[in-house]
Amino acid sequence: MRAVRAVFVGLWSLLVGLAITIKHFGRTTILRKKVTEQYPHEKPVMSKAYRSAIKLIRFDETNSHDCVGCKACERICPSFCISVDGDKVDGIRKKRATHFEMDFALCSLCGLCIDACPTDTLEYSKLYEEVGYTRHWKHDLLKDFNAYEAQFVAEQRAREEAEAAEKARAAEEKKAAAAAAKAAKAAEAAKAAEPGAEPVADPAADAAAEEKKKKIEAAMAAKAARLAAKAAATPAPEES
Amino acid sequence: MPEEIREDDAGAMGESYYLNMGPQHPSMHGVLRLKLRLLGEEIQDAEPVIGYAHRAHEKMAENRIWPMFLPNTSRVDYLSGMIYNLAYCQAIEKMLDIEVPERAQYIRVIVSELNRISSHLLWIATYVMDIGGVTPFLYLWDDREIILDIMDRVTGSRLTYCYGRFGGVTMDVDDLFCEQTSAFLDRLVGRMVEYDKLVRKNVIFIQRSKGVGVIDADTCRQYGVTGPSLRAAGVAYDVRRAEPYGIYDRFDFEVPTLTEGDCLARYDVRVREIEEASKIIRQALRDLPGGLVMPEKPKKKFKPSPGETYFAVESARGHFGMYLVSDGSETPFKIKLRTPSFSNLAAMPKVLRGTMVADTIAIVGSIDIVLPEIDR
Amino acid sequence: MPDTVVNLVDSPALGVLIGIAGVMAALTVNVLFLVWLERKVSAWIQRRMGPTEVGPFGMLQTIADMLKLISKQLITPRHVDKPLYHIAPVFVFVPVVAAASLFPFDEHVSLQNLDIGLVLVFAFGGLGIVGIFMAGWGSNNKYALLGAMRAVAQNISYEIPLILSTLSVVLMVNAMGDANTNGMNLAQVASMQHDKGFWFVLVQPVAAVIYFIAALAETNRAPFDIPEAESELVAGFHTEYSGMRFALFFFAEYSNMFIVAMVATVLFFGGWSGPLLPGAMWFFLKTYAIVFVMIWIRWTFPRLRFDQLMSFCWLVLIPLSILNLLVTAFIARAV
Repeated sequence: MRAVRAVFVGLWSLLVGLAITIKHFGRTTILRKKVTEQYPHEKPVMSKAYRSAIKLIRFDETNSHDCVGCKACERICPSFCISVDGDKVDGIRKKRATHFEMDFALCSLCGLCIDACPTDTLEYSKLYEEVGYTRHWKHDLLKDFNAYEAQFVAEQRAREEAEAAEKARAAEEKKAAAAAAKAAKAAEAAKAAEPGAEPVADPAADAAAEEKKKKIEAAMAAKAARLAAKAAATPAPEES
Repeated sequence: MPEEIREDDAGAMGESYYLNMGPQHPSMHGVLRLKLRLLGEEIQDAEPVIGYAHRAHEKMAENRIWPMFLPNTSRVDYLSGMIYNLAYCQAIEKMLDIEVPERAQYIRVIVSELNRISSHLLWIATYVMDIGGVTPFLYLWDDREIILDIMDRVTGSRLTYCYGRFGGVTMDVDDLFCEQTSAFLDRLVGRMVEYDKLVRKNVIFIQRSKGVGVIDADTCRQYGVTGPSLRAAGVAYDVRRAEPYGIYDRFDFEVPTLTEGDCLARYDVRVREIEEASKIIRQALRDLPGGLVMPEKPKKKFKPSPGETYFAVESARGHFGMYLVSDGSETPFKIKLRTPSFSNLAAMPKVLRGTMVADTIAIVGSIDIVLPEIDR
Repeated sequence: MPDTVVNLVDSPALGVLIGIAGVMAALTVNVLFLVWLERKVSAWIQRRMGPTEVGPFGMLQTIADMLKLISKQLITPRHVDKPLYHIAPVFVFVPVVAAASLFPFDEHVSLQNLDIGLVLVFAFGGLGIVGIFMAGWGSNNKYALLGAMRAVAQNISYEIPLILSTLSVVLMVNAMGDANTNGMNLAQVASMQHDKGFWFVLVQPVAAVIYFIAALAETNRAPFDIPEAESELVAGFHTEYSGMRFALFFFAEYSNMFIVAMVATVLFFGGWSGPLLPGAMWFFLKTYAIVFVMIWIRWTFPRLRFDQLMSFCWLVLIPLSILNLLVTAFIARAV
């Protein structure tokens, strides 16, 4: 009896299996719900976190990267696939990368270089059709920047000069202000020392003092009101 | 391991003959080579020959500074790379006493458990494939694909993640991630019911799995078999429960155990582990706190004080241990990986003896070995 | 009224040649279509697309594959038994063509209407096993040998329930017809169902089910695809074959599948009989429906183990088919 039942349970399980597969068959043929992405015809959109070969970020302010060729990425790379060189450029403060090559065939996309970058100028690109025809698939990361490099240097030099000028001007101003203050103080001291002289009436200072006084008064009044209200809310024990 | 099988020992061989299964064989997981001594179709002796995927990960670690080993970790076991990657991070954090933000802790749990689910789904798929069912394989890969997409959005990779950093994780998750994850878990419930009907209740599947490849608890203990294979034999050992790491002590989950120890029990244990992992993810998503995931840039160079650190996690395959030895320099003195698949495979010669060729594939498939993890 | 196509031509030899050429051409086209169907159906079951690139719905994909197989270099491994290795694909291929020429596609359309048609079909089917074993033995490869041994054991075992189940139909036809009726004649079996107005699957359901299961095993289809179980034996008996030699095995396998479906159509589903549409159309519709079920089953179930397969045959199918035959015989005697 049990054996017969087992046979029917077994047969039933086979039919259930067939029902499931034909259900999926119907979903694909009639409902046209496919799972496959027809890759060359449909291009996938890569997520914002997607990791492909690294690239240098083009910053809006400078229209260029900020790589200083410090070799931090080259040293941390576990695959030893980055090679960077930097050099001093006349007229600008920071060094500039002169050579930034990365062998994508060796890269393991770990992102340690991005973490290591002191100027945060590295990021992942979103390329996904990267294939190599040799065992070395070199990416020249400076390729897109080389054309602008002279312009960048000129602009950066101008920027830095302007910055320096601004700084100098600020320093000058500060100096002048300090001198003026000193002079004023000296004058005040001289005036105070002069006997019978009227104290200098400063209307602005007066106004400020007035306001401060008013504020303190208002705060005190508020506090008193609050205390009164509290006293009214709590019944005195003696009265009950 | 059995005594060395010698090809020239014709007298002792009798009617039996050798069959080299692998390293190039359509259903060998990776590049395992099984040297089988057969009598007809019955296996007299089996000897696993390993080392075809040896990539010297442990030696590589000794020649690099500590953070440089990070990308290697997920390549040791490419099916649950996240768990291995985070295991290394947590080992280093234990060694250096680095504080990890709460939010990063929760994210680690979520992605680890997602990774565990994807690994178990893949195991079910390949196991059914090993015993000849092709269609469930593709359905399960369809589900796994969703996990890979979710992981891709937050980690940037689909298989070999390098997501963990010492003291946090590289990227924060967003609301969409949480929505997608819970939507996936909801979908998975229905799909698992379908697989239960299509695979688990199928009479042919039961015939092929029930009572096949029994590994009892004693054998497990002798060979150090861990993971679902051990739990299928009735030992409730799970590192997440036995010695909780990270924040696993905060979650409510069970350690599923069965007593049969056969392929069917291993299947059931994994299915129930998928459910438990879903439970953990739901709890973690519910409790996910705000805050930063990586308060400061990870340390590039550091010199740990000389000493040893051992850190174990429960990978999808079992007890995965990382043993770090520091001599006070910037590079590790030694990193030893205790990989579960290696010990699980070691029990195979004993289990395979007396079974048939078709069962060999099913049994070797059922312990869920990943060859790069064995060869390292 | 010509009884068979062969009789259309005066010279019997010429007729046979034309017939064989026609059958081979028809079979080739049919196999190309079947392979496409298998790929497409399996893809749809698995939520995939299947071939889409070559031709409309990828229908020309198999033609491209065939051209590739034809144009490939024939590789002979070094240690094979050359005569056996070379002749085996032919031995597998020829019986299939011979068997395919025996079917009544329509009321009066068949290449050879023989009185022993049914027996010949199974005889040719049995001949193919010789080719398979030659391939397995000649390849000098352990996987191929294992596959061939499994194939021989399986096919010989499953031929018993296969023939026993068809025999019950033969018995029934003989009992129902007059003295001239011959149940072994495929055309007569089909006409009988047409005349009586019901399909024999209704009166012989057990025989039909047994036949179907045994036919799956006989054609090495899943869940009985043990001789070429790719997860165990790489590719079974044709592991060492490539190019056109492999294509011949492939051709034989799919044609075999079609032949057992045709036998089922004739014996259990009324052959060419059916309303409105022409007979040949009904015949092929039914056959393809059976082939579809075979494909559907293949892409649903896991594979049995070899010993389970054999015990299933000897302990379940053969006793059941003998019982069925006995019951049929008693009823036929009584009626």
